[in-house]
Amino acid sequence: MLKKMIGILFVTFVVTQSSAFAGFWAGAVPPEIISTNGHEIDNLFMYTTWLNIVYFILVCAGLFGFSYLYWYKRSPKAYYTYGNKKEHLVVTMIIGAAVFLSIDLNITRMSNDDMINEFWKFPDASKEEVIQIEVLAQQWMWNFRYAGVDGKFNTADDVLSNHDLRIPVGKKVEFRISSKDVIHSLYFPNARLKADAIPGRITRLWFQPTKTGEFDIACAEMCGTHHYLMKAKLRVETEEDYKLWLGEAERLALAGNDVDNLDNYWGWKWEEQ
Amino acid sequence: MTYAHGIHEAPKTFISKYIISFDHKVIAKQFLWYGIFFLGVGGMMALLIRWTLAYPGEAFPILGSLLFPHTNGVVPPDTYAMLFTLHGTIMIFYAITPILIGAFGNFCIPLMIGARDMAFPMLNMLSFWFAFLSGLVLLASLFIPYGGAAGGWTSYPTLSTLIGSPGAGQTLWCLAIFILGISSTMGAVNYITTVISFRAPGMGYFDMPLTVWGLWLTAILNAIFLPVLGAGVMLLIFDRVFGTHFFLAGAAATSGTGDPVLFQHVFWIFGHPEVYILILPAWGVVSDLLSFFSRKPAFGAKATALSMTTITILSTVVYGHHMFTTQMSPLLTQTFMTLTMTISIPSAIFFANWLGTIWRGSIRFHSPMLFSLGIVFVFGLGGLTGLYLGTVSTDLYLHDTYFVVGHFHYTMAASVLLGGFAGTYFWFPKMFGKMMNETLAKIHFWGSMVGLNGIFFGMLLVGYAGMHRRLYNPFVYEFMKDMTSINTMITISALIMGAFQLVFVYNFLHTLIKGKPVTDNNPWEVGTLEWTIPSPAPHYNFKEIPTVKCGPHELGNPNLKNGRDFQYQTEELVEA
Repeated sequence: MLKKMIGILFVTFVVTQSSAFAGFWAGAVPPEIISTNGHEIDNLFMYTTWLNIVYFILVCAGLFGFSYLYWYKRSPKAYYTYGNKKEHLVVTMIIGAAVFLSIDLNITRMSNDDMINEFWKFPDASKEEVIQIEVLAQQWMWNFRYAGVDGKFNTADDVLSNHDLRIPVGKKVEFRISSKDVIHSLYFPNARLKADAIPGRITRLWFQPTKTGEFDIACAEMCGTHHYLMKAKLRVETEEDYKLWLGEAERLALAGNDVDNLDNYWGWKWEEQ
Repeated sequence: MTYAHGIHEAPKTFISKYIISFDHKVIAKQFLWYGIFFLGVGGMMALLIRWTLAYPGEAFPILGSLLFPHTNGVVPPDTYAMLFTLHGTIMIFYAITPILIGAFGNFCIPLMIGARDMAFPMLNMLSFWFAFLSGLVLLASLFIPYGGAAGGWTSYPTLSTLIGSPGAGQTLWCLAIFILGISSTMGAVNYITTVISFRAPGMGYFDMPLTVWGLWLTAILNAIFLPVLGAGVMLLIFDRVFGTHFFLAGAAATSGTGDPVLFQHVFWIFGHPEVYILILPAWGVVSDLLSFFSRKPAFGAKATALSMTTITILSTVVYGHHMFTTQMSPLLTQTFMTLTMTISIPSAIFFANWLGTIWRGSIRFHSPMLFSLGIVFVFGLGGLTGLYLGTVSTDLYLHDTYFVVGHFHYTMAASVLLGGFAGTYFWFPKMFGKMMNETLAKIHFWGSMVGLNGIFFGMLLVGYAGMHRRLYNPFVYEFMKDMTSINTMITISALIMGAFQLVFVYNFLHTLIKGKPVTDNNPWEVGTLEWTIPSPAPHYNFKEIPTVKCGPHELGNPNLKNGRDFQYQTEELVEA
């Protein structure tokens, strides 16, 4: 009877604990990738992690292993050495070189390649279709600007959108980012990217969404009391839905934009860089 | 080196003995109390922050309704910003700096190099009282309209200018940091001079204990880079008070010709060396203690000292990795990434030396040793997680997330805190002439290890999952809804961590008040100069200036005939 009860209790404990555990580890999973190059960042992360695990196991082996083996009761006499013999120096230098060559140089090269071939390789609007969007951050709001029907920024027909960023799936999107008041940071967790929004400067970011859906946009840089509420929605839509929305938005912009109201003109000319 | 000035009588009055003291040992204790006080304040702030992150919108138990009566005990969002700003500021400048550098620097340097006091006792006294003034200014800023600074400990403009922070709190913060800069610079000049000119006769630089090496390198970095921070916050004060535009630009500044990013450059030119300013003394302490408690000489001591020196130099040319997302030129970005990675080489060398030190030792697991081994563990994790942030592409994702928070807490908070505790348990008999309770110290160690690994590893996990920093309520975001349980785990770990610090406080105070004076002047059986004199160290330390004849880690020499397994630095080296 007692054994049975203990058994039931044990099973209940294991089940509840493991389900709680499953929920626990769900919090350590990054959001799904929705860009063509986001996985490059995850790959480099995992590569670094595996190498780190190897080296950390070596550190722990030394730390715990030597602590166990050379406890004074097991090892009453210490080996008297300054560690400056030739073989000691060679081993130390091999460790230093191994760490540098295997981890540091490798991940630096990989990261540099990713930057040059992907993240710094901005799409060329003269050669392919690029969705261009200007982003202005302010306390505590994200403003997005589309060029409108004339295709030029900072004109009366520009489409303005607050907290609501819509882009078509499969198209390259380039952002030019600035800020009205304090420093913010445009953060797309699903694209693994962020860029600071800095007053008086324009920063850049691009990615190519691969799937439709609604995702979070956050401000990653402390920008005041309501920093945590400075979020926007990213809506990746099919080409048709996007066209439909943009057409309607352009119609409303032409009809509603107040040409005399200078406050609308936070935009700036889009210049190729 | 001869002793520069005459010996004065020991001070008799309470004020000259304990308040306006010129004695490096008393100033060290003043810094220790000051640091422990602020460690408590900063720790309480951390608990308030953690509570908010795990249980948003719920009242903080017991203290909450006293602190925030208007919200029935719930931390309000603007107070939350103030809390994490001041938690960072206090822990870095008012807890770690005074304990590691102010207390151990002052206490250990003269005793370990065989000097009777610091080179400039007056400067030393002023250093403490400027720090005291600075602490008062910082605490006062909490009680004025709009409250204290709330722009993060980095205080980036334009958030820290009048655009983002009205009220005098941010100005007082800048002023407090400026005054503290004066205090630390005075201390640093003093340490550097003392080490260079007051070493006992016969003591070359490589005969100094590695603790002194760490403290000395820290002082050099302090002397060079704290004035840079001072200049930065002074310009910020100008922007706030006199209407200049050093850091203002863009739409909000009508005539602005300045640049907010300029402040980030100034800040991180100081800020990156600052992390080494904090960790170098701990590295030094670990390197010595591992040798002392393994009963053998420090493995490759010269290489360790030179590695620490190399890192000191490298730390001045890598600061750009804090600013990758501001989008510097690609060439600058690549340069900073590559330079950052080179820090791995000296780090790997002294890690190898630390493990080499305990290899084939005869290890005694006293509490200072446990804390030192703990540092090797947590600093391993802290150092390795830095790699992800040094490479630009992963930093695009991880910058400003909890991964960064976890990483720098492992390096700066966990390692430095454990280093501070190791030092406190080790030098307590020399400071106060009493021994702290070993059992309580070991309970404190294991509790702290469980607590801080729960906190900081949890932070790495949610940071990898994308949770960004300084959020009052992260769960307003869809993608962070799953992170509640890890955040709760972190908070529970923080409470465990906090609870075990009470064991330390009890042990410290109880030993101080009720503890029996030590009968043995050298309870750890080590040979550095501070253990050649009585415990606690007498006024003016050394009756006669010692002559140094061997290195600081002469342990385990098989040819020793006097029944000891170590020799004092004042003894002629027994040749093998």
